[in-house]
Amino acid sequence: MIKQLFYIVLFINITVSAQTKYLTKTGTINFEASMASFEEVKGINKSVTAILNADNGQFAALVFVKGFRFKNALMEEHFNENYADSDSYPKATFKGNIIDFSSNPLNPNTKLLLNGTLTFHGKSKVINGIALKINKSQNTISLVGEFNVLASDFDIKIPKVVKDKVSKNITISFDLNLINNTNK
Amino acid sequence: MKKVIVFVILIIIIVIGYNYIYQDHRNVTEEQASYSISALKISEEFFNNPVTSEKKYLNKTITISGLVTAIHKNNLTLNTKVFCMLTKTQFSKINSKIKVKGRFIGYDDLLEEIKLDQCHIIKQD
Repeated sequence: MIKQLFYIVLFINITVSAQTKYLTKTGTINFEASMASFEEVKGINKSVTAILNADNGQFAALVFVKGFRFKNALMEEHFNENYADSDSYPKATFKGNIIDFSSNPLNPNTKLLLNGTLTFHGKSKVINGIALKINKSQNTISLVGEFNVLASDFDIKIPKVVKDKVSKNITISFDLNLINNTNK
Repeated sequence: MKKVIVFVILIIIIVIGYNYIYQDHRNVTEEQASYSISALKISEEFFNNPVTSEKKYLNKTITISGLVTAIHKNNLTLNTKVFCMLTKTQFSKINSKIKVKGRFIGYDDLLEEIKLDQCHIIKQD
């Protein structure tokens, strides 16, 4: 019995160490809900954690909502308190899969699609077909792309008074430079 | 006379309103830290109780002392557990003991790391 267990543990260890993982802790995500001719409503987060399993294209990202910085301090405060509720929901996550990743030779400027689930403000939404621009160099894989979501998908209400200034259609763009972090 | 008073009041309201709308960002560098703790202690706290610890520290300015285990251009890691985003590049050495002040933004359960932003080194040996 113990012997069997030993082999099982050994086997698990081997499969774990065989994974090719790419990782970043300082990825960038921007979100923008600006309306033309009004002050820009834009937050930038430069401390995004993202992990890509290069063997199967599995992808996960984690963003701390408090980490979004705005040009305007009051806007940042309102974003945290009135819209994103960052005290109750400090995290936003994305879990998904890059389609046909492992079989792709990853030539410069490869374009692939990312499917997954975005969780923000306690609500989850499946988002499929995010176009990714992928560039691979020796040790890094960069993923660049953008997608749109609606504030209402995440149960975020935009008050009538500001509905001309804050768009309910939100553009999220990201730029992640993942570095090879394979377990040895 | 009445016109002048109304005008002055109007100006005051505009100035106050402008300062309210375009107020400065909070300055973590100058803030008094709410907690002062070692990197090992805080990571132990999060390991034992991630949810309550996150509530306790969220958005608070804290000072953390520890051993530098990784350095990059705009970030460093203390005791492999506390990840600090620096406001500006500051010099430090691997394995040196330092003290960092910054704002806690969350516990990264993907990497099991404590994350701080707007950090700066306040003391190093």
